[in-house]
Amino acid sequence: MATEAKGCKELFSEVIETGLCALCGACTGTCPYLVYYKGRIALLDNCALLKGQCYEYCPRTYIGMDVISQQVFGVPYSEEELGTAKEMLMARSTDTSMREKVQYGGAVTTLLSLALAEGFIDGAVLTRTSDDKTPSPFLAQSADEVLQCTGSSYMACPVLGRYNQIPKDNGNKLGIVAMPCQVLAVAKMKKDPPENRASIGNVKLVIGLFCTWALSPDRFYQFLKENLDLSKVKKFDIPPPPANRFDVYTASGRTSFPLEQIRKFTMPTCTYCLDMTSEFADISVGSVEGIGGWNTVIIRTDIGADLVEMAKKKGKLQIGKLPSTNLTHLKEASLLKKKRALNEIVKKSGDKNNLLYVGLSPRLADKLLA
Amino acid sequence: MTQKQLVKDPLNLIITGVGGQGNVMISLIIGNAFVREGYFVTLGETYGASQRGGPVMSHMRISKETQYSPFIPDGCADIILGMEPVETLRMLGRYGNPNVITIINPRPIYSIDVIGGQAEYPDLHKLVESVKELSAKTWIINATEEAQKMGSHMFANAILIGALVGSGVLPLDKKSVEPVLREIFPKEITANLAAFNKGIKLVRS
Amino acid sequence: MANIDIDAPGTSQLLIGNEAIARGALEAGIGFAAAYPGTPSSEILGTLAQAAKEMGIYAEWSVNEKVAMEAAAGASFAGIRALASMKQNGINVVSDFLANLVMSGIGKGGLVLVSCDDPSAISSSNEQDTRPIAKWLDIPLVEPGDFQETKDMTRWLFDLAEELGTLCMLRSVTRIAHARGNVRLGELPKKQLNAYFDQIHDLKSVMPTTFMPIPSPLRHSFLHMKMDKARERFEGSAFNRYVGPNKADLLIITCGSCWLYSQDAVKALKLEDRVGILKLGTLWPLPEKFIGEHLDKSEKLLFVEEIDPFLERSVMEMVANLPPSSPRPIFYGKRSGHVNAYGELNPDRVIKAISTILGLAYQPRDIEYRKKAEAFAKSNVPERTMTFCAGCPHRATFWAIKNALKLDGRGGVVTGDIGCYSMALGPTGFFQVRTMHCMGGGAGVANGLGKLGQFGFDQPVLAVVGDSTFYHATIPALINGVYNQSDFILVILDNSATAMTGFQPHPGTGMTAMGEPTKVVSMEALCCSLGTHVEVCDPFELKGTIATLLEMMAEGGGAKVAIMRRQCELVRAKKEKPPYRVHVDPEKCIGEACGCDRLCTRVFLCPGLIWDKKANRSKIDEVICTGCGLCVDVCPQGAIIKEAV
Repeated sequence: MATEAKGCKELFSEVIETGLCALCGACTGTCPYLVYYKGRIALLDNCALLKGQCYEYCPRTYIGMDVISQQVFGVPYSEEELGTAKEMLMARSTDTSMREKVQYGGAVTTLLSLALAEGFIDGAVLTRTSDDKTPSPFLAQSADEVLQCTGSSYMACPVLGRYNQIPKDNGNKLGIVAMPCQVLAVAKMKKDPPENRASIGNVKLVIGLFCTWALSPDRFYQFLKENLDLSKVKKFDIPPPPANRFDVYTASGRTSFPLEQIRKFTMPTCTYCLDMTSEFADISVGSVEGIGGWNTVIIRTDIGADLVEMAKKKGKLQIGKLPSTNLTHLKEASLLKKKRALNEIVKKSGDKNNLLYVGLSPRLADKLLA
Repeated sequence: MTQKQLVKDPLNLIITGVGGQGNVMISLIIGNAFVREGYFVTLGETYGASQRGGPVMSHMRISKETQYSPFIPDGCADIILGMEPVETLRMLGRYGNPNVITIINPRPIYSIDVIGGQAEYPDLHKLVESVKELSAKTWIINATEEAQKMGSHMFANAILIGALVGSGVLPLDKKSVEPVLREIFPKEITANLAAFNKGIKLVRS
Repeated sequence: MANIDIDAPGTSQLLIGNEAIARGALEAGIGFAAAYPGTPSSEILGTLAQAAKEMGIYAEWSVNEKVAMEAAAGASFAGIRALASMKQNGINVVSDFLANLVMSGIGKGGLVLVSCDDPSAISSSNEQDTRPIAKWLDIPLVEPGDFQETKDMTRWLFDLAEELGTLCMLRSVTRIAHARGNVRLGELPKKQLNAYFDQIHDLKSVMPTTFMPIPSPLRHSFLHMKMDKARERFEGSAFNRYVGPNKADLLIITCGSCWLYSQDAVKALKLEDRVGILKLGTLWPLPEKFIGEHLDKSEKLLFVEEIDPFLERSVMEMVANLPPSSPRPIFYGKRSGHVNAYGELNPDRVIKAISTILGLAYQPRDIEYRKKAEAFAKSNVPERTMTFCAGCPHRATFWAIKNALKLDGRGGVVTGDIGCYSMALGPTGFFQVRTMHCMGGGAGVANGLGKLGQFGFDQPVLAVVGDSTFYHATIPALINGVYNQSDFILVILDNSATAMTGFQPHPGTGMTAMGEPTKVVSMEALCCSLGTHVEVCDPFELKGTIATLLEMMAEGGGAKVAIMRRQCELVRAKKEKPPYRVHVDPEKCIGEACGCDRLCTRVFLCPGLIWDKKANRSKIDEVICTGCGLCVDVCPQGAIIKEAV
């Protein structure tokens, strides 16, 4: 499996052409052949190499979950619904002016700014939504630049492509804010460091976001353009159930679309994704159901713990206890995603023993498929 | 020593190389020198599209009797002047025979098939050995190298003309060729004459 | 090129066939020559233009062959001897005018048409024998067999044209046109030429041979009379001759370059006393009496000609009309398969035909040597595919097109045309061009594709065309695309030259054939006047060019134009030094590793950038590299460095 020589050719035949591609960008920005363009990965020329890093780090090619978990946490893949975690809590920025610009509680922005200020990182690779509401990968190198990147467009964005472009000899320490698929790709890179790129060891901090599904940056964007004046939009939001809406906030108020209408634009790959809470990040961040203006924060590693602790001590983050109902719901939702995904994978492969790219212990697989 | 007349009639000379190297220039000079000595000369060339990096060959038929066709028949070359090693072997394959005399400039020019990886350029040493095996006599003239020493690879043509004339395989001497050189080489005539003389020296050493 | 205006009658010069034609035309006292560049005919006008001022004549590169032919006819109508020359495709372009010209007849100035065919299509898009047009439209046709004859026939043809009152045609091929041979020069005329267009008022005074533009079937009968007269002249022509024994085992009937090949072949086989050669110089109308006199020399006839069995069929017709008691020879040639029915001939092919018919063996060289030589060559001689020159702007253009189409992702189609850029059918242009027919054909085809939206067609359409081709044939197709709103982008590759044929000037270059500065016909002004979207790009600015193409492909709204402007490298190099010194930094080059996989050599394919197997790195070949610096922007690792010189 992992030892067979596979490259660009197989990347297309096994991932991109089968609807598994998450547009995470791990295969782009690092060679002249694979390029992200308008919602797809384009192949500019045939690469003749039999073995390629594009295939190796793709989060939809084989992942031995235990092996990766050992690399990141030193323990096998957790059977807990939310993955390996030290602590789960609620948090929000103490800066009230910042809170107006952010999606929920501003935890990601606060933590990044702090990490930058303290010199833990020199820059962060994340998503910036431009004025016309297209998301694009961005390397932020100051607190101001980080602030430009608040808010979610709910569309996939090949952020890792920007990381890959960083010159080989660049020694700057980096943070990455990523979706679960991208966090997985970074974990793969940590396991087998890439060649001819900036050292993966430079990545000091990975903040993962919660994600149920992402929207196609091509088809969904078309839909938005046809139905809205994008220059007037301030923020997008998907409120928790039972709202069943996709909200668009402009200066004059709020427009909503039924969620079923928006679900049509989900990326096909999301059906086959087991990870709702970015299980291999240092810190995972999401919303708090029913409590606006706060983030759910899952601390997974020592690095994550230290940073959150410092944020609390320095008065940058207000920390609270996550209500048990929220925790229960989160766990249920996360487990449901794993089960659904694995069942869909088996349907796609047509074989209970063929889990496509997911390398789980048979015991855990059976448990989830039951 | 330079013969006063053709060793055979017609004498068949091939000048071969890669499009853009300048074999047309060489054949013009030698051809005109012969016409002024009263010979019939027919010169067949490949022009136009073939120049774009493809193989080119000039076929020269020299005769006291009559005008021959611009094609040397297969197996009938008497002398081959090869400006590029692979092209020299290509000519020997088709037009060579046990009596052929070869002058070769052993400086490879790589085709895009070789550069792109679809084809292999043969080992140069082995190639030159094959050329020697297929020729009655072989002169190896490092024309490009010597030309670069003189300041530009463009002087290689004049060096090779010098080698051809100096070798004595043609009934032409310096006296008959120099005036044509002066007429036809548009720029840097002093340097080209020096290159021509260098070629004579090289082939005789 | 030779000085064809040397005033040294009687001296022998080494001229290519085309120079011999030019010299023959000068000796005939022409005043006007027009042509469009086309291999293998270009040097005819090229040398006439060089000698024009000195000789007091006029020579021009016309925008296309049709205008060239018509302009030359104009000169003839005003009493000036005129010549129009072209390659085989030009004949197709002028055919409508010719079909009418043979009816009207020519003026008092003799008019000669020279057609240079390209057997084996060495430098052409198609292989075509133009001799049949003489039969089709009734034009007296000659074909020279060697270099002296090329000059002498041209010289004579003007007299014949004036005597008959009709256009005469000389057909040549690459191996005469571009080959060099001994030509003894004749006298150059010293007459002053006067041009005047005679307006005929009294129709009754008009002779059948007089120029008369009024169409009428009667003119057709006059044409037949002219052809009968021509046949008379041809019967006694010295350009037709027989060489060989009185009774032969084989009679070769041949013309053109094949006359030299046949002689070579008979000599090589030492059959001078067994094989006779009937060489024809005047081909149509067929000199039937002359041929008939030699038919009894042998029972076996071998027709050796390029490209079609023109003579073969004509003689077959002739023999079919002979009285039943006449001998019925056996015909060998293209129909029997003894001579190749396509591709050029050479002495070896004729040797093979003769040996097969007479059952002879032929061994020019020792068999063991041959086996060894062929084996060495087979295993040690790699392919040498044609390529854009190092520094060629087309490489940049097609790299940009390739990337733009791949990014666009809808399977865009590139239609092509005639020029250096035709090579983009192959690896040097990354196989981008998908169709190639005649001059202007690419834009025409694109027009059709661009209207197929209603049938579900959504592939972007690009038509690439050279600057010279644009003026020649493409403007009507562009107008059609704007008028009929066909969705395609006309990509004009403006390298300021008619490059493939020898860097001749054209209406966009501001220079005439005779070296005089003139008005520039601005292609962007022309295109803008059609009211369509026009962009001008420097193809070396790869990012910008790709972005422009992508934008235009997403636009729709009928035909639009993207001009890729950058001078041909060979033209630039004649005037300027290389702009950069380029080298590869072996520390930065990662070669075959993941992240590159030899993009510069394996994919980009510039002949100036080679792969050093031992060092596992790319390298600049300083003999080939022209210092253009384009590869610097292609290398993904920034390992190629350019320094301004």
